[in-house]
Amino acid sequence: MGLRLYQEPQLENPILVASWPGIGNIGIIAVDTLREVLEAEEFGGIEPWDFFYPKRVLIRKGILEYLEFPSSKFYFKRIEGKDILFFIGEEQPTEGGRMYAEGKKAYQMANLVLDVAEKFKCRRVYTSGAAVALTHHTTKPRVWAVPNSESLIPEIKGYGNTILMSDIEGRGGHGNITGLNGLLLGVSKKRGFEAICLMGEIPVYLQGLPLSYPKASKSVLEVLSRSLKIEINLDKLDELDRKAERRIEEFYQQIPLEIRGQLDRLRHVTYAQPDEPGPITEEEEKRIMEDVEKFFKKRGGGG
Amino acid sequence: MNKGYPIKIYNEQELRRSSLVLGWSEDIGNLGRKATGYLNRKLKGREFAEIEPEAFFPLGGVAIEGNLARFPESKFYACQEYELVVFQSDSPGAEWYKFLNSVLDVAEQHCRVKELYILGAMVSFSAHTAPRQLIAVVNSAEMKEVLGQYDLARDMDYQTQPGERPTLNSFLLWIAKERNIPGVSLWVPIPFYLAAMEDAQAQKKVLSFLNERLNLKIDFSDLDQEIREQNEQLAQLRSRFSQIDDYINRLESNLMLSEEENGELIKKIEDFLREED
Repeated sequence: MGLRLYQEPQLENPILVASWPGIGNIGIIAVDTLREVLEAEEFGGIEPWDFFYPKRVLIRKGILEYLEFPSSKFYFKRIEGKDILFFIGEEQPTEGGRMYAEGKKAYQMANLVLDVAEKFKCRRVYTSGAAVALTHHTTKPRVWAVPNSESLIPEIKGYGNTILMSDIEGRGGHGNITGLNGLLLGVSKKRGFEAICLMGEIPVYLQGLPLSYPKASKSVLEVLSRSLKIEINLDKLDELDRKAERRIEEFYQQIPLEIRGQLDRLRHVTYAQPDEPGPITEEEEKRIMEDVEKFFKKRGGGG
Repeated sequence: MNKGYPIKIYNEQELRRSSLVLGWSEDIGNLGRKATGYLNRKLKGREFAEIEPEAFFPLGGVAIEGNLARFPESKFYACQEYELVVFQSDSPGAEWYKFLNSVLDVAEQHCRVKELYILGAMVSFSAHTAPRQLIAVVNSAEMKEVLGQYDLARDMDYQTQPGERPTLNSFLLWIAKERNIPGVSLWVPIPFYLAAMEDAQAQKKVLSFLNERLNLKIDFSDLDQEIREQNEQLAQLRSRFSQIDDYINRLESNLMLSEEENGELIKKIEDFLREED
């Protein structure tokens, strides 16, 4: 089990941006788009066999030619004073058929990623994922930001379109981030790296669908590029968003009218500060959640 | 390559150049368990090692099968006289790479295994009256050539379809390739309505190949008797139920049945064979 680095790029206190697939693939699309737009170069990876079951076999004329495993790759990009390392995992290592990584394997993988961060003297780690929220797919998703250190909060407050957990009504600053996108934040803290997880909002009724939600990836990327002080072209994400939007709208029209009526009210929701009255009442919120759950149950598991 | 995995060796074996035959317990048509069990019985295989289960199987309780509690087992048997090692195991639920390497660690380091034979079955939509085929997937061109003289389908093309994952057999074959152990994964298509039961004819097909290839000198008269009995039972069922006969006739003419008809055929045959047992 280990790291394989094909080269050792000379980097100056880079930051590390890491992501794995999750709900709506929000984080991974954001990070992979950034990697692609910046034309970052691959320089290593994590050997897959101890973490993953193979994903593809090719047999030609009766001979097993190869077995392909989910990839876990490192990339780098030199930008004057803003060098970036990327880590992109094609799958989260799971044990016992769970959806998201947890336990020994997840901890091992998080540590291997941070071994690279340490080797290159990274000054900060960013991860990214999804925040399931009572929002509507026609509104611009916000980005929930969770730092692993108090000292990062003032900086986050200046990002724009970003909220802290304490800004979300009823949460009292609490919550949790499942899977490796969250775990890396905690392991970073343990190993002394400052880290921020940026989560794009996805409407509650889309969380169980096998659809990507690039609209939220775009919000994440806007925040990330502001934080990194780099400008990037987001045309590709806009195109992805247009395609996804069509499929989401098709799905939305299949939702029974009475539930859709409730969901339509979310078009106008903006999060209130904890001391302000919310735009929909707690009771209404509960009812919407129950209706959505019932609908997905009837549909057979929401996906 | 032994990384200290949980292997228990009870007796060291005096093998010089052995072959490893591997079968999984929960195979289609019970092929893996039946075929490896048959080899052990006929060749007097003696258990000499096992892989401890705790790292590889969910141990939150026990499964019950045929009124009995079952516990995952992964056991090695040696048939000294024939330079043969048989591995019979439940399929692991986690740490597959470690598990499969543990199997090959025992094979290489304790048994000097030079060749690997992996047994497997797949569901077929043919009737039980059609002859069984044996499909071979190898991990080297040399192995393919070596197997050229046997009655095997050796030219299969396949790649994993979206939403599917490779089989454990392919995973093992690939690890064997990485370790320079020539190997073959053998697949017998089993009629879908026997998939949850047993198919003596399929067992005979794979065992006959091993018999010939490894010069095991097995007398198959008992298995032939089982095949006759199963065929007679199925013939009896066909004569009793015209609908079942019609379904099987259509399969014999290479016609597909509807999903509902498939289900009816499976149920009738399984109920009947269980009653007969």
